[in-house]
Amino acid sequence: MAEAYFPVGPGLGPEENFLSLDDILMSQEKLPGRAESNLPRLAFALGQGSGAGSGDSIPEGSKLEIPMWLAKGLHDSKRRLISVELPKIYKEAWRTVFSADANVVDLHKMGPYYYGFGSQLLNFDNPENPEIAQCILQTFINRFRRIMDSSQNAYNEDTSSLVARLDELERALFQAGQKGLNDFQCWEKGQASQITVSSLVQNYGKRKFTEMDG
Amino acid sequence: MEPAEAEFLAEKELVTIVPSFSMDRVHLIGGDLGPFNPGLPVEVPVWLAINLKQRQKCRLIPPAWMDVEKLEEIRDQERKEDTFTPMPSPYYMELTKLLLNYASDNIPKADEIRTLVKDTWDTRMAKLRLSADSFVRQQEAHAKLDNLTLMEINTIGTFLTQALDHMYKLRTNLQPSGSAESQDF
Repeated sequence: MAEAYFPVGPGLGPEENFLSLDDILMSQEKLPGRAESNLPRLAFALGQGSGAGSGDSIPEGSKLEIPMWLAKGLHDSKRRLISVELPKIYKEAWRTVFSADANVVDLHKMGPYYYGFGSQLLNFDNPENPEIAQCILQTFINRFRRIMDSSQNAYNEDTSSLVARLDELERALFQAGQKGLNDFQCWEKGQASQITVSSLVQNYGKRKFTEMDG
Repeated sequence: MEPAEAEFLAEKELVTIVPSFSMDRVHLIGGDLGPFNPGLPVEVPVWLAINLKQRQKCRLIPPAWMDVEKLEEIRDQERKEDTFTPMPSPYYMELTKLLLNYASDNIPKADEIRTLVKDTWDTRMAKLRLSADSFVRQQEAHAKLDNLTLMEINTIGTFLTQALDHMYKLRTNLQPSGSAESQDF
């Protein structure tokens, strides 16, 4: 059925899409990092409340878990406020796992925004950037076949076991594949010419007039 | 595009009917519909044929390719070849569905025909997926597939274009960014 609502997709490059909900959620994921200089009065904000002195400054060199949006904002090669490390799934060890067989990895558990987060990581100057970018691309290519096959062949089944190991980007692709399949099957059964309720309106229960008073 | 739209386009194809009424030539914007005489076969578009059949004013004659032996040949050929074989009609799926739903009494061995067409469809879809996978795997920039019909393209189209979009964006990540727009303060 023709869509009435088109959500803004995630930007997969070095810049994220400002209006995309997926990107907003993705940038909330945390990175390990270290404070490079004294950060006065920021202990409460960066989760060190129970550390040295409540609400006081963060000493130099202490380890932090920073959300991506904050890391991008504070990152500057001239004024070194924080330095970030790669989360473990983008490191060498996991990269070899991905290149061996990308299909077995549970990408949903490893951070549900593997591709988006990985693309954002390329913003920080890091000597391993080309390898990370290559690894993300190869992972996507290797998993593409399985997503295509499972989404185009599972009609009217419970797909939760099929999507459990996919990350958010792959889930959106899976939905697109399912939609193509469902539209075709529905047309073949002759239901395409029946008028059905639009998905946007289907959840509006009938509200009684008396409920709206007071 | 949705399957219903592809079906709408398929209804322009011509099919032979044998009317049971008589009418003079009708002039429509799309063309003329020839004079109808009871018992004489005439070619009309599918939309009109279905309509007349529902009003029980005609008898449908199946197209030449809608025959068990022919379809078996087509199916076997499809299975042998690695590329797509030309289909008897660019709308074979839609026509099969329409004619077999509304006029199955005029078509001999309708069930077998349905099964054969479905088998051919499945083989073609499998080939399409295989070629899509090798296209993505080798990161080619350009692919050419002959003899695909609209319905097949529709079913896989959205998925494939989205996947290729994502792949393109991930590929541009490989080039180190030239212009770093940063604000110094």
